[in-house]
Amino acid sequence: MSAERKIRNLASGLAVIWFLFCLFPLWWIFVTAIKPPLAVSQGATYFPFIDFQPTLQAYRDAVSGIRGDFVGPIFNSIVVSVISTVISVFLGAMAAYSLVRFEFRVKLLAGLVFAIISIGGFAILTEIYSVKVPYAIAIIMFVALFISVLLNRVDLPGPVMNNNDVTFWFVSQRMFPPIVSAFALFLLYSEMNKLGVRMLDSLPGLVLAYSAFGLPFSVWLMRDFFETIPVEVEEAAMVDNISRMRIFFQIVLPMSKPGLVATSMIVLAFIWNEFLFGLLLTSSKWQTLPILMAGQNSSRGDEWWAISVAALVSILPMILVATFLGRMMRSGLLAGSIK
Amino acid sequence: MYPVRYEDMVLTKILESKHLFIWPAFLTVLIVSLFPLVYALIVSFQSIRLVPPIPPRFVGLDNYAEIVSSARFWGSITTTAIIVCISVFLQYVIGFTLALTLHHNVRGASLYRVVFLLPMFLAPVCVALIAKMLFHPVLGPVNDLFTIFGSPNISFLTVPPLAIAVLVIVETWQWTPFVVLLMLAGLQGLPSDVFEAARVDNISIWRRFRDITFPMLLPLSIAVIFIRMIEGFKIVDTVFILTGGGPGTSTETLTLFAYNEGFKKFNMGMTSALSFMFLIVVIVFGSVYLAAAQRIVRRYK
Repeated sequence: MSAERKIRNLASGLAVIWFLFCLFPLWWIFVTAIKPPLAVSQGATYFPFIDFQPTLQAYRDAVSGIRGDFVGPIFNSIVVSVISTVISVFLGAMAAYSLVRFEFRVKLLAGLVFAIISIGGFAILTEIYSVKVPYAIAIIMFVALFISVLLNRVDLPGPVMNNNDVTFWFVSQRMFPPIVSAFALFLLYSEMNKLGVRMLDSLPGLVLAYSAFGLPFSVWLMRDFFETIPVEVEEAAMVDNISRMRIFFQIVLPMSKPGLVATSMIVLAFIWNEFLFGLLLTSSKWQTLPILMAGQNSSRGDEWWAISVAALVSILPMILVATFLGRMMRSGLLAGSIK
Repeated sequence: MYPVRYEDMVLTKILESKHLFIWPAFLTVLIVSLFPLVYALIVSFQSIRLVPPIPPRFVGLDNYAEIVSSARFWGSITTTAIIVCISVFLQYVIGFTLALTLHHNVRGASLYRVVFLLPMFLAPVCVALIAKMLFHPVLGPVNDLFTIFGSPNISFLTVPPLAIAVLVIVETWQWTPFVVLLMLAGLQGLPSDVFEAARVDNISIWRRFRDITFPMLLPLSIAVIFIRMIEGFKIVDTVFILTGGGPGTSTETLTLFAYNEGFKKFNMGMTSALSFMFLIVVIVFGSVYLAAAQRIVRRYK
């Protein structure tokens, strides 16, 4: 058994090392945020009161907005991420519920027809008839959806996709490199700006993009959660002739509060931290916190205390999220989502 | 049978409909992800510049041909692949080990759980900014550590191999928690009677791991590595902050290359083509990986 003990000791040693390795960077910005400029520019300092005299000047500067708006981006980040998370989890939960309780059959051929009509039709409309891009998308979407939904009802040869494939379709949005869709969305939004619908650097534009960005997570996580909810309660309600919508809103959603909370937190974390969409889709008014920080990096290189304050503001809510999810993880709630 | 009014039936049918549940999400994805992609696909066959504005012109596969023949493109693939392969390997090894440690409840496990989870919830931009301070060539603590051993000041971010090493460290720091999270959940889901039996038979801890735990978690491991690879290929924020792709273009990743092409040169057709090439690269890497993984699984069966 001595070999076992040795491995056990080795493991606890490793855990301690990794623990320190995880915490040191956090300790570093925590103390850097209260450093006076001299404590930064004269070499690395580590401990307040021993290495340097702490000051709250950096926080005061940030709040008073002496060097550029700081409160604005925080406000933007909060508004954008909260609204997008709510929409995304709500739509995702509805879709996930239908994927658990109903049967979907989508014919591959109908899907292919949809792709061909949209790509071909879009090219023809914009290139030959020079229809404006947003209009072309609206027309094509309507036509292609109409035709393929009708086609799906007809007897078509070829494979049929089931609920798992539909779920995979949602989740696979996440596998695309985000630059592909972020860039495409940027092109689309700038076309809409030209038509007078302000989408670039606006709240609706960001919320729309981020709601879709969060959907893969919310569909995936909520589906796993709904699968653990017993169907009997709903069946009893159905016998009483209560509509599916009411069942969903009045019975299923209240029952799945833990799942909704966990999913919201994960989605919120991803949207709060997101960088690329924010970078492409905002320019000034609706800049989010990560974009502000990236900008500070280039504009005020060595003013570490200011950068640390910004980073801490972005990190603090996430520490709460991680603590909460760490608790949930112990209760095994997230265990289901890996299957 | 009691009489049912026709209008009632239609109304219930709509309210009962599964379509009402799934269409809002479906349409959102369609509008935000898929149709812009179709648009970008068309643009990728054109030559469009915003600055100076040139009317779009159909150029066929010219953009793609130019990309494939540019050294910068292959350079960015190599950089991205190096960062992804090394950092995902480290994440998996360290993450799995930590998950095993936590699973066997070392002292303080509940505190470790939260702290080990934390890095993956921080904004990559934040993490990169912190790393930039830590790896500062003169004022950073890492430099302090090296000077203790008598080394001269090292400029970590301007020497290409060192800059890539820093990026790998940052990625590993931030994303090992993801592996810990999933592998721990996997470990907790394993049937305990097998391990009881192995313990009774006095099988050593190492063989228990090699012959029971590892093979049983192999499918999960493959999935975890796959997710991390796909996610790793998207790396941009960290590089954007830490090196900006420099020195030169030696640490430029695929996403950063596409971004620079689009927002410094405003060459829209090229950027669209580039992002589709990127998609192809990810698909190729993903398929190669999955094919290799399937082979390993088969060997274990």
